[in-house]
Amino acid sequence: MPIFECRDLDKSFGQVRALDGVNISIEPGRIVGLLGPNGSGKTTLMKLANGLLTPSGGELLINGSAPDRNTRAIVSYLPERTCIPLWMSAGQLLDFYRDFYTDFRRDAAEKMFGRLGIPLKQKVKQMSKGTREKAQLILVMSRRAGLYLLDEPIGGVDPAARDFILDTVISNYNPEAAVVISTHIISDVEKVLDEVYFINRGEIVLHDSVDAIREEKGMSVDALFREVFKC
Amino acid sequence: MLGKLLKHEFRATARIMGPLYLVLIALSICANLSIRILDSSPAAALTVLGAILLAAFGLAVTGTVIVAVALMVNRFRTNLMGDEGYIMFTLPVSVDQLVVSKIIVSTVWFIATAAAVLVSALITAFRIEYVEKAVEMISELIRITPGLQALKGAAVIVEVLVLAVTACASFSLLFYAAMSIGHSFSNHKKLLSVVFFFVIQFVMQTAGSLVILASGTLFKPWFSGDIGIIPSVHRALWLAVLYVLIRGAIYYIVTRIMLKKHLNLE
Repeated sequence: MPIFECRDLDKSFGQVRALDGVNISIEPGRIVGLLGPNGSGKTTLMKLANGLLTPSGGELLINGSAPDRNTRAIVSYLPERTCIPLWMSAGQLLDFYRDFYTDFRRDAAEKMFGRLGIPLKQKVKQMSKGTREKAQLILVMSRRAGLYLLDEPIGGVDPAARDFILDTVISNYNPEAAVVISTHIISDVEKVLDEVYFINRGEIVLHDSVDAIREEKGMSVDALFREVFKC
Repeated sequence: MLGKLLKHEFRATARIMGPLYLVLIALSICANLSIRILDSSPAAALTVLGAILLAAFGLAVTGTVIVAVALMVNRFRTNLMGDEGYIMFTLPVSVDQLVVSKIIVSTVWFIATAAAVLVSALITAFRIEYVEKAVEMISELIRITPGLQALKGAAVIVEVLVLAVTACASFSLLFYAAMSIGHSFSNHKKLLSVVFFFVIQFVMQTAGSLVILASGTLFKPWFSGDIGIIPSVHRALWLAVLYVLIRGAIYYIVTRIMLKKHLNLE
């Protein structure tokens, strides 16, 4: 059974159609890229998968169920923005995640905080923007989740930080889980992907495995993306 | 999960309310000393100092009440409607648990604030002879008013407390309903929250007045005839609780629907 599935999924905001008949099926154990330019509907899809928005039509299923409190227990979500409470200390953040998620590995998160030089007593508001982003990623990747939904994890960060982020994802995700990475920065991320969905103006315009793209089309995902989304 | 939400909500709010209560108590001790100075000292400088400390205490009382209300509003706005909403609404908890945790914590702080203000007022006015006089006056009042004994003091206190708790919860829910509607729009979320606060209040006041007018005949037998004043007081208090509960329930339903079906985080 797919861990993440969309069937003819629609989402409209008034007259604006953000998603139009989206069909996606992702099996456990796959790392999938949701690739599209800004405003293509990636974040809307991520929000729908987390129950932060309600579909206008069709259905979205997580492990066979519509998003609810039970599916949220198996989904680990990294929003596009940093949203960890500023007043909390690093240690309080770990307490918070441990209290609500039974699959949270506090020891793993604490080690990663240590490697980044984040003391547990340090308040989030004392951290730099980049450190906050990394801290949030560490919290998300320290869960043994069934599905990781990472919305623009490498958007707006420097190349060194991109390497840290991708290393953290690859060395910490549950191998039996699926990982969905939404991004428009392809070159850094394509090396970790198994398959890709190209999304444009709310529609899925291409779905293929990364190997097939390289073998059959003879080009990298990045090159194909530039061709498909040429202005 | 509600227990865990409450734990973290208290953790987030106690760091503000706790120090505030300490300041209030400290200022009430200063105010008490000031009153003594004002009463006894002829020195102008000390009189001015005493008056300033007394004024500071008055401001602290007002400030504490304002902060308690502002904190209730701000926690809902930042923790659920702001960026933190991305974390809170993706926790494995229900919308009901999120809203109920906010209501419980706000209500506890309102009651605690009332208690802190009362305690600080007692500290400010404290003199042994005042306490003795107050006890004498209350005893005398009970002795000369047979009706007060029949009021069943404990029952009235419980009824007033129930009314206070439900009123606090309903008061918070009015703000939550307005903010959940205002933040469902794409733009001008704060402005629209304020607009809907007044719209909801106007609608509820109008509807409440109409219901009270229409139900006048329904409840008339409760207060007429020879049931006496005391049972009427009890009935009036329970009717007030029912009225506040109905208002609160309406606000809760509006908040729940907006957060479940029309959540629109930025």
